[in-house]
Amino acid sequence: MTVPAQKPARKLSMKQRYSALTHDLNWTPTYVPEAEAFPYTTFEGIKIHDWSKWEDPFRLTVDAYCKYQAEKDRRLYAVLDSFAQSQGQLGLSDGSYLNAMKLFLQGIASEEYQAHRNFAYLARYLNGPGPRFAALCQSLDELRHAQTEIHALSHYNKHFTGFHDWKKMHDRVWYLSVPKSFFDDAVTAGPFEFLIAIGFSFEYLLTNLLFVPFMSGAAFNGDLPTMTFGFSAQSDESRHMTLGLEAIKFMLEQDEDNVPIVQEWLDKWFWRGYRLLALVAAMMDYFLPKRVMSWKESFELYFEQQMLGGLFPDLAYYGIRPPRHVEQAIEEKEILSHQAFWILYQFSHAAAFQTTVPDAAAQEWLTSAYPETFPKLYQPLFEKAQEVMDGGGRFFNMGLPQLCQVCQIPMGFTEPGDPTTICQRHSIFKGERYDMCSDGCKWIFDREPEKYVQAWLPVHQIYQGNCGGPTIPDVLAWYGMQPDDGGDYLGSADHQAWTAWHATAAKEG
Amino acid sequence: MQIELRTQVIEPRRRTFTNLAERFGDRPASRYEEGTIDVQATENFHYRPLWGPTRWQYDPEYSALRLTDPYSFTDPRQLYYAPYVQSRSSMQEAFSKSLDYLESRSLLGRMPEAWQQLVANVLLPLRHYEAGAQLITTEGVRFCYGTTIDACCTFAAFDRIGNAQQLSRVGIVLSGGSAELLGAAKQAWLEAPALQGLRRLEEELLTERDWGTELVTLDLADRLVYGLMYQFLDEAALLGGAGAYSLIAQHLNTWFADQRRWIDALIATWLADPEVADANRAALDAVLAARWGQVVEAVSDLAAAVDAHVGVGAVDAARSNAAAVAAGLTALGLTVPEVSA
Repeated sequence: MTVPAQKPARKLSMKQRYSALTHDLNWTPTYVPEAEAFPYTTFEGIKIHDWSKWEDPFRLTVDAYCKYQAEKDRRLYAVLDSFAQSQGQLGLSDGSYLNAMKLFLQGIASEEYQAHRNFAYLARYLNGPGPRFAALCQSLDELRHAQTEIHALSHYNKHFTGFHDWKKMHDRVWYLSVPKSFFDDAVTAGPFEFLIAIGFSFEYLLTNLLFVPFMSGAAFNGDLPTMTFGFSAQSDESRHMTLGLEAIKFMLEQDEDNVPIVQEWLDKWFWRGYRLLALVAAMMDYFLPKRVMSWKESFELYFEQQMLGGLFPDLAYYGIRPPRHVEQAIEEKEILSHQAFWILYQFSHAAAFQTTVPDAAAQEWLTSAYPETFPKLYQPLFEKAQEVMDGGGRFFNMGLPQLCQVCQIPMGFTEPGDPTTICQRHSIFKGERYDMCSDGCKWIFDREPEKYVQAWLPVHQIYQGNCGGPTIPDVLAWYGMQPDDGGDYLGSADHQAWTAWHATAAKEG
Repeated sequence: MQIELRTQVIEPRRRTFTNLAERFGDRPASRYEEGTIDVQATENFHYRPLWGPTRWQYDPEYSALRLTDPYSFTDPRQLYYAPYVQSRSSMQEAFSKSLDYLESRSLLGRMPEAWQQLVANVLLPLRHYEAGAQLITTEGVRFCYGTTIDACCTFAAFDRIGNAQQLSRVGIVLSGGSAELLGAAKQAWLEAPALQGLRRLEEELLTERDWGTELVTLDLADRLVYGLMYQFLDEAALLGGAGAYSLIAQHLNTWFADQRRWIDALIATWLADPEVADANRAALDAVLAARWGQVVEAVSDLAAAVDAHVGVGAVDAARSNAAAVAAGLTALGLTVPEVSA
């Protein structure tokens, strides 16, 4: 090979240059069989004929990536530093707001981290260099999100309860087995299912329902670190959304036989994700002192209008229909947040966040947001709870709830069309009975019973003696909880501290 | 005059997260510690992986190299995401400046002809070596145990694709803006005898399912490849009137010095483990027994190709570098097999 003399050569276009710096680095192994180097892309039944047909949804090289991200992080950490230095927590709308962030740190940071690890699985094991490099970038982004979330909330940990042992809690606590089992399910699936589960369903279909409420909630309630984190993550998220969309289109275009497989994954991961969002729904409608929008409005805007109205008509071209059981989710938009919050309310003594009866203004807002359901079905519950409070008590459910075998939420959801009867479904597998909260979860169980019978169900585990001991204090100690972490917000350590700080500030001011 | 800013003083409830207070006492923790130590889930996993049901999704048994406490290893550089991208942003910018300079003065094309040939036929194909190194390191990102090791693997994997892109850009500049030399370099990677040892090694590593031994084997190759291509040839280039080569090599050299810091620390931690040091030593010895000869031979072939172009005594240099690396490993108590090469 001779080096060309310095004559004018054919210059690369931007696209060719990107390809030379990424795709073209790839080669097909010849010293070992390709299938041994990339062994995981056949067992799921997805057929890929030509990996080069992957259209890069964005063109980033390492130098550009580091430059953009470094600039973003410089700004983000400057905000975090100044917030901590100025005791910014005093400017929150109310101390109770942070219960939403406790749920966020306990429930989400570990899942960002899991996404980081498993996008690396794709970055290693997909056969095509295009999707591999896109997955590598996303793997880094997800590590960023896990770390920046921890750093954004680290200052609150110093002054409030419930933030202090989020990782141990994530591995052990009953309500956190909901997000944990969701992500465990995704990372133990094959690479293509993971792409549909997280890359598409979670990062595209449901992402606005998950992140917008937390981040807008932060903005409305004076939580500058989380809001800044949210804005800062947005440009990463938009890359992740385009990756998810490209992933599903790529699979659907590669072979018609992929369509029914992808459809079933969509059906599964829509319902799986939707059930996980029950926690978000409760947070939106009940945890925020200053509310952004109701779960119902959010669901209508981000799911019904944007996804069912905007995305699925496009996917119909490939033979994809809206997810199974979507009509039940639509019907539940009137009741989901209330039912989920009522569960959290009555088990707050075993949680690392605090709840309280919505005050008069909040109940008024709930009535206007849910005129058909809140006054009739849920306000009476809170009136009773308030009566107990007025008598100097607090209603806690001291039993252990039955959990859904699939989504792991206590079985408190109701029958389709009948919001007063608890929905119970079950399946028999190898002579054992397994209970599910809904038709959606039962359908998921019946499709892969061998997988779901393995679930580490927190209540079963307590009964089997695997959680520190037989009494609630034993279990809470094993969860890593401290006595101030849970219970009612009113009169809690956080509430007292909040009141005292503001009394001092008022006196000094 | 000093301005006295009055702020409300609030005594914190605690100084850091419980897990860190349990490890280090209730003292303020660094962002590296808060964002890296104990982050990965360790227990109560729900489902066995469909792609490999014998282990959990995070499982120490994905490698023969283990730590009793995975967080006995920490990154000496204390890198979490933000300082990582900041550091790499600076490194990439420095590289771009060098390359712009070389391009503006046509300095690559003014190197002696033999050095240009060396770049085209030996250096540029190594962009594929870097890309393969990225894949091998990414195995660690997914399968290692503990976030401190994971973060190092993550950054290293991304670094390798960054290195591959830097070498590619050299090729584009040397071809006057086209991909001509890159195409030829790929052919060389696939066919030139001098490069087949390295290619075979990487491909074989892609079929191993032990992230730790993959990482260590790759590192053995790296020590010899970097020692030859970016350290020895840096000097030789300056003597041979190929200053442009030196300007490129220094950036990869700087990167490799950074890479060594965490890998050396990890190997030291494996060998100092209070319970499994012996098993780790045996696993490292097994890697050396299986791979050292192969690595030395692969790099010796590379060195012969270097000498065929520029005749600078690369074969001897590679041999003495291998001896120095072997001596360093022996000093750690490892057993390095004799090689005839």
